Amino acid sequence: MIFGRLRRFKEWLRADFLSPKDLVLRALSISILFLVVHVTGLRDHTAFLCGTLADPTMSWQWAAFLGCTYLLLYFAFVLLVPILLLAAAASAALHHRLERCCR
Amino acid sequence: MHEPATIPLGRRLLIGTATLALATVVWLPLVHAFFTRPAAEFHAATGVSPKARELAARHLGLWTDPALRQRELDRMRASNAEWDFMGRSFLVWSLANLGLRDPSAKTQYLDVIDRIVAETLELEAEHGMHFFLMPYSKARPYVVQPERSLFLEGEIALMLASRRLLEEKAEYVKPLTERIRIIEERLRGNPLLAAESYPDECWTFDHAVALAAIRLSDALDGTDHSALCRDWVGVARRKLIHRESGLLLSSYTLDGLALDGPEGSTIWMVAHCLQLVDEAFARDQYERARRELGRTVCGFGYACEWPASWQGPMDIDSGPIVPGLNISAGSSGMAFIGASAFGDDAFVRSLAATLDFAAFPSRKEGRLRYCASNQVGDAALLYAAVVGPLWERARTGGKR
Repeated sequence: MIFGRLRRFKEWLRADFLSPKDLVLRALSISILFLVVHVTGLRDHTAFLCGTLADPTMSWQWAAFLGCTYLLLYFAFVLLVPILLLAAAASAALHHRLERCCR
Repeated sequence: MHEPATIPLGRRLLIGTATLALATVVWLPLVHAFFTRPAAEFHAATGVSPKARELAARHLGLWTDPALRQRELDRMRASNAEWDFMGRSFLVWSLANLGLRDPSAKTQYLDVIDRIVAETLELEAEHGMHFFLMPYSKARPYVVQPERSLFLEGEIALMLASRRLLEEKAEYVKPLTERIRIIEERLRGNPLLAAESYPDECWTFDHAVALAAIRLSDALDGTDHSALCRDWVGVARRKLIHRESGLLLSSYTLDGLALDGPEGSTIWMVAHCLQLVDEAFARDQYERARRELGRTVCGFGYACEWPASWQGPMDIDSGPIVPGLNISAGSSGMAFIGASAFGDDAFVRSLAATLDFAAFPSRKEGRLRYCASNQVGDAALLYAAVVGPLWERARTGGKR
C-alpha cells in the first residue's frame, strides 16, 4: 500500500519541461529547500558577508558554504518562486485559451 | 494539478519562456514594495524611531549580559580588533544621541556609556593602544614618537565629549582636555596637519572624527579651535582631494602621498563629521559621494566602495563586493550615516529597504540584529538611526 502511494506520488511529480505544472513543482521544491535551511538556522551564517563567523569554532570555508547556501535559497525563494508561480498561472491561462480556440 | 494531457513541445517552450520573461519583468520592480517603509521608521527627526528602539534594546542587552557580550566580542576580534573598539565608539555616540532624544531613559544610557568608557580606558591603559589596532600596527615603528594612534585618540575624545554633552561628568573633563591637547599637538606638528593612525598611515576618517571631537570639546569648555579646523579644511581642499571625483582620499602618508583613494567606507562618516567643521564642504562631499557611490536599483538602495574613476583592493573596510553591481556592505552600511545626517530621506528609505531585504533581520523579545552584520555594523546602523541631536547641541554651544 505504501509503495503504491509512493508510485502514485512519483507519477504525480512527473511534469513536462516548462509546463505550468513543472513551474509550480520547481517553485515548491525551492520553497521546501528554503524552509529546511531557514528552520535549521543557516540564516546566522550570512554573517560571513561582513567578515565575521557566526560560530567562531567553525572554519571560514564551512561558514561561507553554509552562508552562501542560505543566500542562494533565500534569493531563489524571494525572487524566483513568485516568478515561477506567476509564469505558471499565465502559462496555464494561455494554454487553456489556446485549447478552447483550437476546439 | 490538472493540465492538458500533452502540450506540443514547441508551444510549451514558447509559452513557458515568454511567461517566465513576463513574470520577471512584472515581479522584480515590485519586490521593493514589500520592504520599503517610510524613512521615519529608520531615522526620525524627533523622538526615537521604531528601528532605533529595537537596535538599542539589543545593544543594551549585550552590555547587561556578559556571556552574550563576550561571545559577540570573540566573533569580532577573531576578524578585526578595530571592530571591538569601533563597536564601543558607535554605541557610545548612539546612546548620547538617544539620551538627548529620549530624556526619560537618560539614566540607563549614561550608566551603559560610563561602563563602556571606563572599560575601554582600562583596556587601553592595561594593554596599550595596539590592543584595539590591527596587527600591522606593530609591523614597523610610528614615525612620530612616542607612538600614538589618531584612530584611538579621536574616537575616545568623541566618546568623552558625547558623554559630557549628554550630562556633565567632572572626572571626564581632564581626560578629554588632555586628548584634545595631544590631537592638536600632533596635527600642528605636521605641515599637512596629519597624524598617524598606523605607522606612516593617516586616515581621513580618523581626522574627521578627531575634528568633530574638538568641536564638541569647544562647545563644552568654551575653547576655540576654529583656526585649526579652518586650516585642516584648507589643506584637505588643496592636497587630499581625488581629482577625478572631487572626493577626499581615504588614507595617505605623513608626507601627503596618497595610499587609498576615495572609499565609501570612509567618506560617508567623514562628510557627517565635517558638518561640525565646515558645513558647505561637508555637504559638497556628501553630494559628491551620493552621486559617485550611491545607487538605487528597482527601489533598493546601496553604495559602492569606489567611484568609477578609482579602483581599490577589496579589504576589511569594504567588506565583500558583489560583482556586477559593485555593492559594498561596508560602504552601504556607512551610507546610512551620511543619508540620515544630511536628511536624504529618499536614500534612507531605499537603503533601509535593502537592509530588510538582504541583511536578514532577526527579532527576539523586541531586540533587533542583522544576521549578515555584526556588533560594529549594527552599532553603526543604530548611530545612523539616531544621529542629529548631539551635533545640534554642539552647534548651539552645548545648550539645548
